[in-house]
Parts: sequence; C-alpha cells; structure tokens
Amino acid sequence: MIRKDAIKIASDMIGDSPIISANGYISRDLCETDDKDTNFYMIGSMGLSSSIALGVALKNTRKRVYVFDGDGNILMNLGSLTTIGKLKPKNLIHLVFDNQSHDSTGGQPTNSENIDLCKIAEASNYKAFKTSSKANLKKILNKVKTLDGPIMIVIKISKGGNPGKRITYSPITIRKRFSQKL
Amino acid sequence: MFDLLLHEGIKNFIGVPDSTMKYFISQGFKKKKILITTREDEAIGIAAGMSLSKQNSLVFMQNAGFANSISTITSLVQLYEFPIIFLIGWRGYLKDDAPEHYKIGRIQPKLLRTIGVDSKTVTESNWKQCCKWAINKVNDSVPCALIIKREFHD
Repeated sequence: MIRKDAIKIASDMIGDSPIISANGYISRDLCETDDKDTNFYMIGSMGLSSSIALGVALKNTRKRVYVFDGDGNILMNLGSLTTIGKLKPKNLIHLVFDNQSHDSTGGQPTNSENIDLCKIAEASNYKAFKTSSKANLKKILNKVKTLDGPIMIVIKISKGGNPGKRITYSPITIRKRFSQKL
Repeated sequence: MFDLLLHEGIKNFIGVPDSTMKYFISQGFKKKKILITTREDEAIGIAAGMSLSKQNSLVFMQNAGFANSISTITSLVQLYEFPIIFLIGWRGYLKDDAPEHYKIGRIQPKLLRTIGVDSKTVTESNWKQCCKWAINKVNDSVPCALIIKREFHD
C-alpha cells in the first residue's frame, strides 16, 4: 500500500472529525488528496502531532480526534505515548503511517524496522492494531469508531512514491480554519 | 502568582518542573490544573492543541528546557502565532550555581531576544504587573515569557 492511498482511505472514512497531521509528506499527501477545514497541517515541529492532538482531544471530548503520524515522527516523541497513556483520552485515535524511513529527506531508515510500535502503545494503555492492506485498514477504522481510546493503528506502507505538492495555505490560515470548525 | 493567572483566564498549566517555581506548581496541583509532560516541546504541543480549542495556556520549564524548546517555539508557536505564556526558571544566574547552568544561564536573555520572545523577570515587588503584562500579551495573541530567577541554593 502506498502512503497516498492509505491516507485517502483513512481521511475519507474519518469524514469531518479533526485530524492533526504530521509534517512532511503526510500533510502534503493529505492536503492534496482530501483537503478539509478540519485538517490541521503541521509544517515543521516534527514529532509533535500526537501532543497537539492530545491538547485538542482533552478540550473537545465530544469529538473523535485523529492523529496522522509517521514512524520517524512518533519515534521522536515516544514520551508522548506515556502522557497520553496516563490521561487515557477516550476520543484519541492515533494512526502511524509506517514506511520505516524518513522519506522526505531522502529515504534514510528510521529505527522502526525491528521495533513493535503496537507493543509500546499497548504498554502505554492504548488499544493497538496493525495492518498492511487496504481492506483491513477499512475494517479497523470501522471497528474503532465504537471503541474507547486511546487507540493506535500502525499502517505499514511502502517507501517512496510521488509526494503531494507543498502546502500553499499559510500557517495562520491553517490554524484559523481548523479552530473555527472545532 | 498562580491564582492571579488562573483568575485572569489562563486555563492550563503544562510543563516540566523546575525548583525555581515549586510553590507555583504545588499551588497548581492543589487546584488540579497541572499537567506534567516528559519534555518541554511536548508541553508546547499540548498547549498549542488547547489554543486551537480557544483556551490559553502557560508552559513551565527550566532554562535547560527552554534550550530544548527553541525549534518548537520558532516553527510552531511563532509560525502559527499561538499565544502561550512561557514560565522559565533562570539558573546559572548566581556565580556559585551548579556548572551545567552557567552557559545557558548567561545567554538566556540574549537567546530570548534573538528569537523574538518578549520577556519580563519576575520579582517580589513586580509579579502582579508581570502577570498582567503577560495576560495582555496573550489576549493580543502574542506569546511571551516570564522569568523566575534562582536567588538561593537548597
């Protein structure tokens, strides 16, 4: 499964629930394939998408809040899993698009290849799922709609592929339109 | 100081503790308003998420934590214009402080100016004005910093 397809499937199924999307190709692909006011695109501050989402989830308990994270991103901020695991927000769903590489900087490897992110998440009070197929991804996304969070879904994707265009919205516009929809 | 900031509309107090502000943090725990994070940049991320939800936050840290946070301040807080108050301890201010604080303590005021974060140093006599200055800043959507000096050793 390529990143862009996985992101499109997830975004379509999530609909107008808020998505905090990590910097790099993840936000670029999301913006190109399914741009919505409820998408918060990160530009810079790598690693912090799950932290921003935690802040949104704690203050909007009636909404399901989604994180579109990457393997390099979450490995930069593993401490976030313990903070989330301690607070146990029922409305936080954490997707990790895992291609075992820093794709936007030239495809250098991350350390996720032999590491089980689901086990780390489970040890931090998450319910965790793993998939590498489109059909299974849809099934899991449907299933978690009725489960209490925090939930992690690790989506194994292939490395490479054409990334989406650069995001042309200004950061202020991204912030304002997202904030108005909360 | 904690009570004044809470009364003036700061809803969330998030960060990594510092001995310069232990009474501030313990007052926050009494009011159940403190969230301790693993790192300072994580705290800033959470505060940004709360700011998206139209709630103002204070992020507290040591000056070593401020050094950890510079990229997050420039590429998240300032880039998206999140109004957050930073409460930063100032170690390395006294000549006989622990050695790890010397260098960062000496350059902290310059670092704040260089990245363009306005700051005020809190004292016994000016703390109320400092808090009101910070509240006005965040109400104008501008991030700012309050600095607490370490005046003695344990």
